[in-house]
Amino acid sequence: MTARYWWGEIDESGACIPAPADEGAALARLASIETPMDGYLPGTWEAAVACGAVPDRAAYLARLNTLTAHLAADRVAEALRGPDLELLQMVRTLDELDSVINLLTERAVEWYATQDPKFTRKFRAMPARRLVEVLAPRSRGPLRGVLAQIEGLGAARTELAREVTRAAARVLPNSSELVGGLVAARLMAAAGSLDALARLPGSGLQVLGARTALFSHIRTGTPPPKHGLIFQHRRVHNAPLAVRGRVARVLAARLVIAARIDRYRGELDPAFIEGANARIDGVLA
Amino acid sequence: MIWRDKSLLSPGEGGVYGERMRGGYRVWDPRRSKFAALAHLDPGFDLEPGTRVLYLGAANGTTVSHVADYAEVVYAVEFAPRPMQDLLAVARRRKNIIPILADAGRPAQYAHLLEPVDLLFQDVAQPHQAAIAVRNRLFLVPGGRLALMLKVRSIDQSRPLDEVGDEAVAALEAGGFAVDSVRPLTPHHRDHLAILGHRVA
Repeated sequence: MTARYWWGEIDESGACIPAPADEGAALARLASIETPMDGYLPGTWEAAVACGAVPDRAAYLARLNTLTAHLAADRVAEALRGPDLELLQMVRTLDELDSVINLLTERAVEWYATQDPKFTRKFRAMPARRLVEVLAPRSRGPLRGVLAQIEGLGAARTELAREVTRAAARVLPNSSELVGGLVAARLMAAAGSLDALARLPGSGLQVLGARTALFSHIRTGTPPPKHGLIFQHRRVHNAPLAVRGRVARVLAARLVIAARIDRYRGELDPAFIEGANARIDGVLA
Repeated sequence: MIWRDKSLLSPGEGGVYGERMRGGYRVWDPRRSKFAALAHLDPGFDLEPGTRVLYLGAANGTTVSHVADYAEVVYAVEFAPRPMQDLLAVARRRKNIIPILADAGRPAQYAHLLEPVDLLFQDVAQPHQAAIAVRNRLFLVPGGRLALMLKVRSIDQSRPLDEVGDEAVAALEAGGFAVDSVRPLTPHHRDHLAILGHRVA
């Protein structure tokens, strides 16, 4: 059997063929080698020199460092190329922005209350975002700058949410069609990648994002969670309590199929969507 | 290895990860590196200049950079692409690091890149750590040393350290290693056992 090493190969007769000197050709050869481990003997640098692949030990290491660095860089680039990876960062940043904006707003409102003793939020149904806009011109000193920054973050958040929905429609066309781009993207991020999402069972996807409740159920026998992130989809959270669990289960079962179509076919399947929606809405009817 | 006032040092170009320098040497912090922790706890553990090392679980190359300051060559195997980006940056400045993006549990993926090594150092967060060491035994020269940093909590969340350690030792001895010592890496690292041994088969 021919023994193949990075610097060349030795056939049964002991004859040695050095690997191509050209870097591109050598890399292509390396990318394709898998060594059977039965009866394997590691190659030695002396054999590489005897083969004529390299002149000495220093050249052996220098060439190996160059080749492996290229090979690893290519593989890293390949692993990071998937469009789902950027979507994952986008949706995690979006959720992070939400919590940062909430924390800052809460703090800034408390600060404003010390500048304006009559200030109260009672009897004013005002969303936090609007509140920041109203308080900004009335506040003094550095607080004004902070409020302006919060407004800026809000604008960035809106822009990013729109971008997430757009990217999700591209990367997760079928899942997005079933539950909307934001929820679909959050599910993918919770699973870790589109690959991981497509390999989940329906029961797993159903409780993605309900980790605490799930493990409390497994450990101490509390009731199992009916839904995790998919609760954010309107057909789940608007469903009557009596059927909410069933809606979540049926939806999750269709969603994993959608995720698999997204992963392995990558395009919208209107016939599937129609059937899935009919099945989900059938539970609600 | 180089010691000064109870600090472990390594000779090489600094600034890899913001490490402190002392007298032109890089300070090798035992709280950041299991390798350094082992050197602090076991006076008999040494890394002679010129050693050839196979390092499984190279991560961002923090410890690898120190090992490379002493060793002749470090074959650094790491599975995850993100830390590999950092490791590649380290390997660009230290030409005796051979970066390998592969699964340490599948030596067939990288066997053709290696040569016989003197020391197998393993620090991987996997449930079957002993089996990984056994599979990589073939790369050690006869009698070559094993330093396995057993991450106990990657194997079992709740069982006592000794119990999990004993099982790993048994698996190593069944797989062609002789185990010389087992010690916890406290106080530097929690839930880690350093298992030292050498290849016998």
